[in-house]
Amino acid sequence: MTLAEPSLAAVLIVLSELPGVGPATLLECRSHPDPAALLGRVVSGRAHREAILEPAVSAFTRRNKAAGRSADPSEVAAGWARLAIALDPAEELARHRADGRSVHVLGEPGYPERLTEDPVPPALVFSEGDLSVLAGPTVAIVGTRNATRAGRDLAASLGAGLGRVGISVVSGLALGIDGAAHQGLVDAELPASGGRPIGVIASGLDIAYPSRHQRLHRDVVRTGVLLSETPLGLRPTAWRFPARNRIIAGLADAVVVVESRATGGSILTAGEAVARNVPVLAVPGHPTAPASAGTNDLIADGAILARDIEDVLVAVGRGGALDVVGGPVGEGEGDGLRPPDGPDEAAVLAVLGVDALVLDEVLARAGLSLADGSLALAGLEAKGLLERRGAWFERTTREARPGRTTRRSGR
Amino acid sequence: MLANVPSAIVIGVDGHPVTVEVHVGQGLPGLTIVGLPDASCREARDRVRAAVMASGVKWPNLKITVNLAPSSTRKTGSGLDLAIAVGVLVANEDLAAEAVAGIGFLGELGLDGSVRTVPGIVPLVDALACEHVVVPVAAAPDAALVEGPHVRPVATLREVIAAASGDEPWPDHDLPARAPRTQADLDLADVRGQAAIRTALEVAAAGAHHLLMVGPPGSGKTMLASRLPGILPGLDRTEAMEVSRIHSAAGISLSGDLIRRPPLRAPHHTATMVALVGGGTDAMRPGEVSLAHGGVLFLDELAEFSPTVLDALRQPLEEGVIRVSRARFSARLPARVILVAAMNPCPCGEAGRPGACRCPDGILARYRRRLSGPLLDRFDLRVDVMRPQVEALLGGEAGERSETVAERVARARLAAHARGVRANADLHGPTLDRWAPFDAEAHAHLTDCLRRGRLSARGLARVRRVSLTLADLAGHDGPLTKRFVSTALALRSDVVLGAGVAA
Repeated sequence: MTLAEPSLAAVLIVLSELPGVGPATLLECRSHPDPAALLGRVVSGRAHREAILEPAVSAFTRRNKAAGRSADPSEVAAGWARLAIALDPAEELARHRADGRSVHVLGEPGYPERLTEDPVPPALVFSEGDLSVLAGPTVAIVGTRNATRAGRDLAASLGAGLGRVGISVVSGLALGIDGAAHQGLVDAELPASGGRPIGVIASGLDIAYPSRHQRLHRDVVRTGVLLSETPLGLRPTAWRFPARNRIIAGLADAVVVVESRATGGSILTAGEAVARNVPVLAVPGHPTAPASAGTNDLIADGAILARDIEDVLVAVGRGGALDVVGGPVGEGEGDGLRPPDGPDEAAVLAVLGVDALVLDEVLARAGLSLADGSLALAGLEAKGLLERRGAWFERTTREARPGRTTRRSGR
Repeated sequence: MLANVPSAIVIGVDGHPVTVEVHVGQGLPGLTIVGLPDASCREARDRVRAAVMASGVKWPNLKITVNLAPSSTRKTGSGLDLAIAVGVLVANEDLAAEAVAGIGFLGELGLDGSVRTVPGIVPLVDALACEHVVVPVAAAPDAALVEGPHVRPVATLREVIAAASGDEPWPDHDLPARAPRTQADLDLADVRGQAAIRTALEVAAAGAHHLLMVGPPGSGKTMLASRLPGILPGLDRTEAMEVSRIHSAAGISLSGDLIRRPPLRAPHHTATMVALVGGGTDAMRPGEVSLAHGGVLFLDELAEFSPTVLDALRQPLEEGVIRVSRARFSARLPARVILVAAMNPCPCGEAGRPGACRCPDGILARYRRRLSGPLLDRFDLRVDVMRPQVEALLGGEAGERSETVAERVARARLAAHARGVRANADLHGPTLDRWAPFDAEAHAHLTDCLRRGRLSARGLARVRRVSLTLADLAGHDGPLTKRFVSTALALRSDVVLGAGVAA
């Protein structure tokens, strides 16, 4: 293998491992008639004299300069050369194919169908798990990392509900909404005919970021598929997240934003979806709730209102009769919870809405003394009806919403 | 021709008697000071010479040797000036030795012969075992606080000479008026709403528990902390003397009145370790922690303090004293305080509100890493303070007055005294088990919390102490009920966001 000309995949992997080479540069390398020659120029330290690579070298030089490091294109090119010489293309390819992982090159067989028509398709996609999942219907569920409990609960029930009607869920495995959507789907433990998780991450496939989601990573690989355009071993640098978001938008039949502040990564994902003609849905929130400011903005800008799973199903053209697996659609998460005990607990539960409250707010609104309030909070926490996060108390479930039949029949 | 004059120096918060021995004899004219004087002490040579000459006495053109006994301890400061001058005059037979027998001298000399005050007058006078003490006029009210010696205030060296030689009686100076210590009018009634932190302050006062307030800017953390001394029991005579002595040693004038209320000290977060725990110079000046002894040490912006400074606080918080050790000697500085600390919950100021806080995980983690776990663990009470709601500020009824709360606190302290400790925070191990049993329901609740990881084993003892204080405040006898335990748990929130860290 070492004597033979390295394969296209192997060349692209090495190029993608050079610091500063992003999706756009890699795509141009892919379109180049002879990518191996490009790699040759890198190895000989002349990357900065190559028209395709020069912008990446300059951009990386500028970043170095901003960080107070050496700022000379020739030095960057020399650094790339050292790195490229150390990497054996064939070995790199083998490494990325080991442990059940696969490498897909744009234009070659096995590359995800959905991404070929993308405005900026990833030249390289690494996957782990069952790639055939991408062939079925998909909905992306995204949102803020610092979500409210209500937001996370909704994301989880959407994830599970979509899975039950056989729709796979695309998300970014971030903290908050992303993680909750996939966790909800994984926890539903659906049979093979159900929807599966499709995780698109910004780091290499071998790095679970955030590390708290290590187990979720494994579960996604086990039950669905994990995708990334980042080579193994690389941590997610800041620019990789927006790049990752475009892949999420590109893989989905619709994008649902559950919660987002006015500026946030999920708003970018929604923008990428619009650019790809993918319908965007947003979950409305109270006008004063910071966590819903972004989703309310999206609705004002024309996003589809997502009040519950039915709205999502209608948006992807699955509003009619459904083959449901593993339980009814929108099954409440609150089943099996004990009801509140006594008037104090009921009073506390009544004042806990979607918004998180601090102890003083709970006491003031429920009209309880510290001792009575603490007792009620302790009781509710023990029953699993509320959750304490730092200073904040949040309700874990809400009563099932009034039926939607009236509204739907009115249509 | 030899003279012995009693005087004293301050090390840490204690006075140490020093005998100034002066020998005047033949030899090369000049004045030598031996017995480990530091630079400021050695400069006495020039001040004393000028002051003596300015007082109308001829300076002896002889070899003068001054020995400061015991000669093994370092002497610092200018407080020995007056004693040295008197010693020279006696040794040179300008004054009769009998005329100054049994009189201790304290004070710094000006070149014109004026006598100036020095820091630490209370411990200095206390250290002198003399019938009479001559002190600067400005220091006389403070000196009079020490029971025993008769205080003779003087304004100039000339007055001392005139009185000692019998030409004139000891002067009768108008002492500076005793400024009554104004008790700042900080009442808990000013606090509107904020039930949790009000209770936390009461519990902190009753059980001497350390309190951490976590809240965004503008939530009144400083205002709350400054109201804690007002609900603490007053200092008894011994405590008042101890606290007054520390303040005097730090050079703070007492205006002739003992400190009878628990002090509040609020050092800025740029404070160095020496400023906080004391030491630094040979005088081992007490730091802010010692100045807060018997009262409240308030550290605002806890996360902004240097980590080494905070770590230096751990030992004093545990033991109630600071041992400052230097190569030549060490000092024990009292440091029994209630530590009240305040910090912002996160850099963005949204207090980690789910869905609203913009702080990335990494920044939150870095912000909290500044506080070591062992220090956070010292806080029995960790309460979130939020900006009071507008309705509470405008319309809300005034809270309870400090007076009412102070009465409950005093009763709770009595309950602690009955257990043989000053306050419940001092209960540990078997004594805690003995005095604070749980009833079955409380036991089940705590077991559940431990099992779910809401509480750590170390946190359990702290929750137990706070529960006991809550019971004391409520006048409850017998095993602790779930009511007290759940309140104690509510007053011990996670300060680390996100990850479910046990309390």
